[in-house]
Amino acid sequence: MVQPLQPWLIVLLAAGISCAVTTVLAALLIVAERYMVNYGTCTIDVNDGARQLEIDGGDTLLGSLKTEGIFIPSACGGRGTCSYCKVKVLEGGGALLPTEEPLLTAEEIADDLRVSCQIKVRNDLKILIPEELFAVRQYRGVVERISDLTYDIKELRIRLIEPDTLTFVGGQYIQLEAPAYGDNPEPVYRAYSMSNPPSDDQAVETIVRLVPGGICTTWVFQHLSEGDEVTLNGPYGDFRLSDSNREMIWIAGGSGMSPFWSMIRYMAEADIERKTTYFFGAVQRRDLFLLDELTELARKLPWFEFIPALSAPGEHDAWTGQTGLITEIVDRHISDGRELEGYLCGSAGMIEAAHDLLRTKGLTDDRVFYDKFN
Amino acid sequence: MKQTPRDKAILERMAPGVLCAEGFLGDDPRDLSEIIAADTAAVEAAGLTHEQIARSLAAAMKTAMAELGRPAAISEHVAAVWREGMGRIPSPWTGDGVFPKGELGLTDTRTGRTLTLTPLSVHLIAAHGFYQGRGSRYRLEPHDIIAMFELT
Repeated sequence: MVQPLQPWLIVLLAAGISCAVTTVLAALLIVAERYMVNYGTCTIDVNDGARQLEIDGGDTLLGSLKTEGIFIPSACGGRGTCSYCKVKVLEGGGALLPTEEPLLTAEEIADDLRVSCQIKVRNDLKILIPEELFAVRQYRGVVERISDLTYDIKELRIRLIEPDTLTFVGGQYIQLEAPAYGDNPEPVYRAYSMSNPPSDDQAVETIVRLVPGGICTTWVFQHLSEGDEVTLNGPYGDFRLSDSNREMIWIAGGSGMSPFWSMIRYMAEADIERKTTYFFGAVQRRDLFLLDELTELARKLPWFEFIPALSAPGEHDAWTGQTGLITEIVDRHISDGRELEGYLCGSAGMIEAAHDLLRTKGLTDDRVFYDKFN
Repeated sequence: MKQTPRDKAILERMAPGVLCAEGFLGDDPRDLSEIIAADTAAVEAAGLTHEQIARSLAAAMKTAMAELGRPAAISEHVAAVWREGMGRIPSPWTGDGVFPKGELGLTDTRTGRTLTLTPLSVHLIAAHGFYQGRGSRYRLEPHDIIAMFELT
């Protein structure tokens, strides 16, 4: 005789069947969207008609723009984790997606910003991007030199192959692609300021500090060799010398040296005699680099002063220079900053501390410059 | 234990090479819920909460970060050094936001025992009771933190 099913078993079976049906339907939708749905040709209007892109719908906005040679900064390679690839979508973006919401502030949402790697192009779109992104190109290059600046900082020199020239302004940055390697399944991009002067436009030089566990810096330190071919895109960023002739204070630490090493050589080449004091902070002597080169420039250029400082010199360092946190050194040297401009590059903590100090010296926020990619 | 789509997404982001080179789980054979349950049991057995542990770590991190790399004294027997990093890293739990890179080294000067953690580590403990998998660079044993900060 057949026994009737227990009520708890019926509930369990119903729940199981419901889950299975939902999973199958979701999988079918994904497959259908991937292989069967044809969105046809869609138009992306960029910057109110500055570019009109006719593209096959279905790809992400980030991917579609990249295919058309418009590169939006994106550190994670479109995985929706870095939140760098925001663009303003004026029309056609549809409702905000759950995957975008955590990456946008309330102000950004109100300002029509969207995460371009998350939204798909399914219809015509109108978007706004910074004008400077029209100048961004993808480059292939070959690693010409990797040199150790300190125990955890390397300098890379990449000779450009195609295109073979990159026009940039001192202070701008590129995104270097770390390809899939080891356990890293997909390429990722990381931003690095260029350290060579703009006149050296057939190469890219940059300064890279090892980030423990960092995907790109681990690749640079452990896998990249001279002679290897690499991919990068750029230039990005509006960190650069202002058009004014105000006296400047530069504050940096670690790989934050990079843009200033470019800018000072540009100023020397172009005879821009603008009074500049460069404060460079490190912990011990082993963390300092390019000391001889910058000291020599300071000797040659009467308008340039270089002040390296150590916050905790060891006895073996035999350090006779400035000692203290870089903010303490700046504090001792600057009494009234109301007529100065401040330029900062380094970790988020250093930038915040330096910016706070400069405010107390009378520098208004519109005269303090730093890169937002950090 | 059955994985929800959200659990699956979190595990994917914890894998090596997704958010960081080594991932968050190390060579720990346990699944995510087992790791969290075991650490929660250890914390509760000490009469503490994850939030209390995270608060101690966050306070030490704030003190050390202000020194921009210069060694800092957290207490009579805890020394700290903040090693700066450029950039930010997101949490494996979507919606948690992004956290500064860089790491804090803590040393118990009595025993020589060290702990290494990041701003994201502190968040993961406070928000999810997740101390990372054994064998990962930033795995923290709850009893090590409790001993270093004398939390009981």
